[in-house]
Amino acid sequence: MNGDTSPRPHDVEVLEMRTKRQPLTFLGALAAAVTIAVALEGVIVANQASGQSGTRPRTAAQAPPSRPTAPTPAVRTTAKTPRTPWGAPDLQGVWNTNTLVPLERPREFGARAFMTQEEHAKALADLQQRNQRPGRDSRTVGGKPAVGTEKDVARAYNEFWFGDKPTKLSMRTSMITDPEDGRIPPYTPEATKRIADKREFLAALLQGTSGGRPGPISPRRAERSPDYNLDRINRSDNTEDRGGPERCFGSELPVTMGTGTFGGVMQLVQAPDSVSIYYDVGQGSGFAWVIPITNRPHLPKNIQLYRGDAIGRWEGDTLVVDVTNFSDESDFRGSRENLHLIQRFRRVDANTLSVEFTAEDPTTWTRPWTAAQELEKADEKTTLVLEGGCHEGNYGLLGMMLNTRAAEKAFAEGKGPDPATQDNATGGGAEN
Amino acid sequence: MRIRFNRVSGAAAGAVVIAVLALAVIQTTGQATRTPRTSDGKPNLNGIWQVTNTANWDLLAHTVRPAVAQPGVYPNHPVLAAPVVALGAAGLVPPGPGVVEGNEIPYKPEAAALKRDNAEHWLDRDPEVRCYMPGIPRAMYMPYPFQITQGTNKIQMVFAFANASRTIYLGGAPDPPADKWMGHSVGRWEGNTLVVDVTDLNDRTWLSRSGDFHSDALHLVERFTPMTPDALRYEVTVEDPNVFTRPWKMSMVLYRQLEDNALLMDYRCIELVEETFLGHLRKNQLVKRWEGDTIVLDVTRRTPPGDKRYER
Repeated sequence: MNGDTSPRPHDVEVLEMRTKRQPLTFLGALAAAVTIAVALEGVIVANQASGQSGTRPRTAAQAPPSRPTAPTPAVRTTAKTPRTPWGAPDLQGVWNTNTLVPLERPREFGARAFMTQEEHAKALADLQQRNQRPGRDSRTVGGKPAVGTEKDVARAYNEFWFGDKPTKLSMRTSMITDPEDGRIPPYTPEATKRIADKREFLAALLQGTSGGRPGPISPRRAERSPDYNLDRINRSDNTEDRGGPERCFGSELPVTMGTGTFGGVMQLVQAPDSVSIYYDVGQGSGFAWVIPITNRPHLPKNIQLYRGDAIGRWEGDTLVVDVTNFSDESDFRGSRENLHLIQRFRRVDANTLSVEFTAEDPTTWTRPWTAAQELEKADEKTTLVLEGGCHEGNYGLLGMMLNTRAAEKAFAEGKGPDPATQDNATGGGAEN
Repeated sequence: MRIRFNRVSGAAAGAVVIAVLALAVIQTTGQATRTPRTSDGKPNLNGIWQVTNTANWDLLAHTVRPAVAQPGVYPNHPVLAAPVVALGAAGLVPPGPGVVEGNEIPYKPEAAALKRDNAEHWLDRDPEVRCYMPGIPRAMYMPYPFQITQGTNKIQMVFAFANASRTIYLGGAPDPPADKWMGHSVGRWEGNTLVVDVTDLNDRTWLSRSGDFHSDALHLVERFTPMTPDALRYEVTVEDPNVFTRPWKMSMVLYRQLEDNALLMDYRCIELVEETFLGHLRKNQLVKRWEGDTIVLDVTRRTPPGDKRYER
């Protein structure tokens, strides 16, 4: 299973300790062990003598790692790529971006990955214009102040909370680099049906409310969601009815960093045998992600993990992370347990980290697709990376459950509307 | 097994003796290889680590006892109580010799009373039960692994439990803006020892399941010292003038996971504790009887034929 046969000081020591405990009756085994131990020590001494000790960087194979052993990165010298003391490309730092790139390419650009100067100037002017809009501070319904309406309550955050807006606009027309049209490939028929089924279920729960189609309260309100629900649905019978974010499930892979106040920050710490990322994203739904650098196989298929099973390896100067074993509780744009993600991290220059992902799921998309984002190195003294703490402060979920039970009780006592006729999912529905 | 001592085995033994002597020489002269080091010469802490002690249950010396107890027939001999009575031996606190120097935590008198009260109401108050981030130092000695990634100017620790993590800044740190569950850690090397100063912890975390607590004035000094390639001495000095009369110290050992398939897997408990804390707010409750948010447990466990105590 472990293809790396290079000697490790660590192994030698384990071997030494074992040999000391062998009773003398196992002379043959002892002699063999000692011979191997001495031979291995010899190799290490030889390595050190050949100039890999002292202040010169050691390779990953020589840095005593946890197991299984990290494959040695193929070290290529690129003048502009900062390197760790052990010779790997240095991906470390605090990274974010304030440059806006849409994930999908607006159709007007066709197959063009970049804008022209004129297009860019116009798009930037449009962006700056958009940034001036009052956004969610425009709390009116039909020209009247919206105070006290469902819309006002649902839009709890006014524009203050959206703080900084993106100030820069990339020349690139989309993060998606493959397919050529810069757009997510079509869903498979299977996924199309899955998504339509869920939409129909969501619509049924809204039927007869201000945000839904007209009609009586749907009998489907008694049904279980067709998928493990992660959406904002118009029901609070169980905690499982509330969305993943409301239950503090935390952000999911892959992360594309946003811009502005809620754009997020990513911190990367690197060692020869692991890369440890903290994604401070999504309003306290940040998470720690440890990528072991290893050549072990993936976990058994039946092991489902919210953020999958990550295995990292170096391909030249690129850290390639293969992630499988996702869960039916994780959802990346319609892809759940069958998602296969390949992430690539590459230090482009002192101030730029390229982060790319390829998403593959034959049960969801008609072909794999790839998106890339360039992150900018942030000032670590002033760019704060904060722990999530969503679950620890989650009074919202408790409130949704309490309020819904209270509303049901009030309705039963003839003191309020039937909660099933209220829209608690679309943010005010028809009033918008 | 008996070995006939003939000339051949005698010669082999002689060779072995020489080899062992040679090995001993390599070991004593090559002392530097005893502590695995990073390329910049620091002790290499990379790997997956875990304590084997029982500090998370009780920091002081303790014998085995029910995790949730009710009075039995004799004083000082409590028996398992309702929430865990069906668990049998799996519902007990494992015994341990303790991790506190002098086996005494110097609580102020009023704090000692609160600690005792906390211990009695452990199940209702312990943030661990709610799947909250465990804080420092408790994260270091929970009975689950954590992974160290030793970078060039930061050390990142990620804990299996609740996906908690901490960054130890080695080369300059930002000013912490607020108290955090996992605090703010600034480290430095003193010879082979990583010394970490931890501040800015909130007052929400506990130190054990026995009700040990602290205030937001908690200040820790941790010391990580390699003992062997696979063991670290972990010492932590606990200072909190709001709660303790003097600083006190814990000491324990962190062990490296040596399994070929060692892997940090998330102890993902957020959705699994919903039933405990929000189950009473389901439209159709799964627990048969709640009184408000109080679970009224009728512990009815019918053992199926063939599975009874003396049938297996």
